[in-house]
Amino acid sequence: MATKPKAAAKGRAGRKTPAKTAPKRASSKSKSIANDDIGEDTRLALWRSLLEIRHVEQRAYDLFLQNLIKGTSHLALGHEAVAAGFATAMNKDDWSFCTYRGHHHTLARGASMEGVLGELMGRECGLLQGKGGSMHLTSVEHGAMGSYAIIGAHLPIAMGAAWTSQYKNTGQVSVCFFGDGTTNIGAFHEALNMAAVWKLPVVFVCENNLYMEYTPIHDVTAVHNPAGDRAASYGLPKIVIDGNDADEVYRTAQAAFAKARAGDGPSLIECLTYRHSGHSRADPGDYRPPGELEAWLKKDPVPRYRERLAEFGIAQDVIDGMDAEVLAQVDAATEISKASPPPGLELIDVDVWADGGTSWRN
Amino acid sequence: MDVIMPQLGETVSEGTVSVWHSKIGDKVSTKAPLFDVSSDKVEMEVPAPAEGTLLEIRVDAGATVPVGEVVAIIVREGEVIEAAAAPVAKAETVAPKTAAAPVRDVSVKSANRDARGNPLSPAVRRLVAENSLDPAAISGTGLNGRLKKKDVLAYLADGGSARSASPSPSRAMPKPAPLDFSGEDTEVIPFNNLRRLTAEHMVRSKATSPHVLQAVEADFARIARARSGVSAAWKKREGFSLTYLPFIAKAVCEAIREFPRVNGAIDGENLVVFRRINLGIAVDLDFDGLVAPVVKGAGEMTLHELARAIRDVSDRARNNQLKPDDFTDGTYTISNSGVFGTMITAPIINQPQVAILSTDGITKKPVVIETEDGDTIGIRPVGVLAQSFDHRAIDGAYSAAFLNRVREIIQTKDWATVLA
Amino acid sequence: MAELTYREAVAAAIAQEMRRDDDVVFLGEDIGKAGGVFKATVGLFKEFGPVRVRDTPISEQAILGAAMGSAMTGLKPIAEIMFSDFLAVCWDIVANEIAKARYMTGGQMSMPLVIRTANGGGSRFGAQHSQSVENWAMMIPGLKVVAPSSPADVKGLLAAAIRDPDPVMFFEQKSLYPIKGEVPDGEYVDELGTAKVLRDGGDVTVVALAAMVPRALKAAEELSAKHGIEATVVDVRSLVPLDTQTILREVSKTGRLVTVEENPRLCGWGAEIASIVADEIFWDLDGPIMRITTPHIPLPAADALEDATMPSAERIVREIVENID
Repeated sequence: MATKPKAAAKGRAGRKTPAKTAPKRASSKSKSIANDDIGEDTRLALWRSLLEIRHVEQRAYDLFLQNLIKGTSHLALGHEAVAAGFATAMNKDDWSFCTYRGHHHTLARGASMEGVLGELMGRECGLLQGKGGSMHLTSVEHGAMGSYAIIGAHLPIAMGAAWTSQYKNTGQVSVCFFGDGTTNIGAFHEALNMAAVWKLPVVFVCENNLYMEYTPIHDVTAVHNPAGDRAASYGLPKIVIDGNDADEVYRTAQAAFAKARAGDGPSLIECLTYRHSGHSRADPGDYRPPGELEAWLKKDPVPRYRERLAEFGIAQDVIDGMDAEVLAQVDAATEISKASPPPGLELIDVDVWADGGTSWRN
Repeated sequence: MDVIMPQLGETVSEGTVSVWHSKIGDKVSTKAPLFDVSSDKVEMEVPAPAEGTLLEIRVDAGATVPVGEVVAIIVREGEVIEAAAAPVAKAETVAPKTAAAPVRDVSVKSANRDARGNPLSPAVRRLVAENSLDPAAISGTGLNGRLKKKDVLAYLADGGSARSASPSPSRAMPKPAPLDFSGEDTEVIPFNNLRRLTAEHMVRSKATSPHVLQAVEADFARIARARSGVSAAWKKREGFSLTYLPFIAKAVCEAIREFPRVNGAIDGENLVVFRRINLGIAVDLDFDGLVAPVVKGAGEMTLHELARAIRDVSDRARNNQLKPDDFTDGTYTISNSGVFGTMITAPIINQPQVAILSTDGITKKPVVIETEDGDTIGIRPVGVLAQSFDHRAIDGAYSAAFLNRVREIIQTKDWATVLA
Repeated sequence: MAELTYREAVAAAIAQEMRRDDDVVFLGEDIGKAGGVFKATVGLFKEFGPVRVRDTPISEQAILGAAMGSAMTGLKPIAEIMFSDFLAVCWDIVANEIAKARYMTGGQMSMPLVIRTANGGGSRFGAQHSQSVENWAMMIPGLKVVAPSSPADVKGLLAAAIRDPDPVMFFEQKSLYPIKGEVPDGEYVDELGTAKVLRDGGDVTVVALAAMVPRALKAAEELSAKHGIEATVVDVRSLVPLDTQTILREVSKTGRLVTVEENPRLCGWGAEIASIVADEIFWDLDGPIMRITTPHIPLPAADALEDATMPSAERIVREIVENID
């Protein structure tokens, strides 16, 4: 069994106030937020995003245990800051692409909780009406352009989307999230090279959680930083950051997006982070050395950010209030999903083609 | 032991197994037919080469294989004992084979086969079922005489529908109530292969050739006189009686020299006229079928040779000793129903020939004889010569002139000298 | 009507569509300045420039990924994979991504793109540059599959493929590039999913695709002249969608079906057609269905060997004479 992150438990224990707490201005005692480049509104947006991911993923885990979520599922517990940081820095019309471990990125772009949980549960209210499942969460209306379950495939695809925005000069940026294991597959290199040659507005984000699946990435990779040490091959600067610090992620994203929108081409960013649970539902993560998880839990992005907010003088009841509010939303989304019927069988025969049908003959 | 495809004639290199009379596991005998073989001309029963049990059928009905190919395996009675004495493992390899082989119900299967034993295509099966046809009665034009959809359509177009009231029955038309075959007073005689072949051939001939019948009456007095003079000596010398038929055959051969187009075949839009004369002689098999073996080179034969050759094929026909070669290359056919005293018979052309002659009973009749002293009435042996010809190939005048010439030869030739 | 080669018809169709729609872009290896290794795209770079006609590195996954990513975000890309054999190195993008995206996302994504590729044998290139792989594509739900046999069909069907809102795999048979034929002038768009009856005959229906079509037509003339067998010849043109109605109608008329396929034997498109015919018009069949294919081998390079393996007009005649009555 995967260890339940303490932060989540703590978050729940700290739930005191009812939902709908309005953010309050920081007190005079706070760190100098006025000079801060991020600002309170953005920080609270990051906090909300972190909480949404944490609570939805935690709920997904609980629903597995109740056998309400079938199939496989790859939780992003521990990766929240990467998703929250980048999504918060994105414009609404930017495009993001992620992997089968993509619940967090989809939620961070604004997809509804019942859309995510319902899809995991195979219900009609799911984002894909049950036709995609956990590994393919997509919400085009939110710019979440798909979760791709074959390692490497979506790097060239994200690069292609960036070609559209370059061709049409729209200023849109494509952001592509992938794991450390992806850096060893050919498509990674093809996409990086072509994006660099064509100077495309695409940002490649490696979530280095130290394990390609079960095998430590260092055991199978020629360089220390699987993404960062490859950047030079494509004429790009090496960027390796603390992926568990939402502020650092946010700032790095902003810089990369500015570069992309200025027509200066792609970026490759390696975010160091850690998976609190196993690779997938079936994996207890026994291969991890003793103490490693504990060490990383001290850097858990959610409690870290809770402290960050306090440092910057955000009132405790605001911090806790948002936590409770999000949890209540997750509860409500869970009930909506449970109540949602299974998808109608008529869905089997729709949407292979643009005409809505599936016919291959006359 | 192996059962092989026999050589059914000098010019035959392959044969088609049209039907198996035994199924795997059956006792087989040298005295009973094991399977039928058809070539392009004939259907023949082949008995087992030894007494025993049928172990394996290697060539399905409908398949054509070269002469000498193993078509089945039988275990001789001696071998059965050997097999029983053999190690258990060996016996087991034999036993399941026998048990596992699907039982071939030939009578059921044959309903889905054409006259040559070829399986029917789906399209033909449907047409046959919809129109209540007997597929064996329809002639096939495909590979190995396979019945094709267009053959059935042509058959239907020619009004060949077996039981339908309409010449072109449609799917919507109600079918007439089937005949009741169940009564005690009814005997159902299934067609044997020869019957099927004959039926198919006759239907095809009538569907193919527009038949015209012409007949002349001939005075056989000269032949009768010549014949009676040598009759006893002939019988003694040759071992059989001298009939009218060789004389008629001789006359026909001579007349053909002057009217060669009756000695031909239609090939597409061509009339092929043969220089050689190979006479088909229709032979009744004691009411159990009809065959028409061919006397080859009849045009070159003397009367004696013709008599012997006709006798030879008739004897072999009745003794079931004809080979496929005996049925090939006929150019003109004579059918002789005279033995029963018929007056006239309208024969059906032996395809792809263009004419056939029927000789009927020769009976004594009062005949007006023209002499220099005026007409007088005499008693003469008189018979009708009736020829059916294919009007596509020749016209009535030509046929009539040929018949007239045959009559002249019969009536005027110095047969006594010929016989001497 | 102008006489164009098959290869000129490719460029003509692309140019026609790029002129009318700025969203149409074209990418691939050596397609721009070089005009394509088969010279099928000569003139496009000059007319439309490097922004719309983009030369790429040797990166098939990047080419098709770029096509997919741009198609789902508003462009109408045409991607060239130089040899269809190379589809194997980017098959993930084709089979797992492009083909499935719309269905898997509940209809959220559109994929208006064309993958053009030089397919098939006859050029003595050996087994890795000669495969006839249209069947690979036919097996994947979500891909339309087209393989033209004439310059007119290249222009009309490629234009239709570019306008089609779904992903189309467009297989150009490389040995046909030099053939000439009349091509309608001006804007010309054909219809996907339609087979064409090229010859009417009463005895047997020959169903062929791409390079096998001219061979089937030649065989039909010889069958008629020397053997009295009249063959109907149907050019399938589009494997997906498949014009089964035309095929079923033409097979019903003769009762006999012969498929002529360049692909190796197993799982060729002819097997699917045979299955459909057997399922739906079994009772119209007047004899066994016959498939004429390349043997189930990698295609050899030497001309003598290659010619002996791909179905030729002579082989089509021989097999039909031996088997069709």
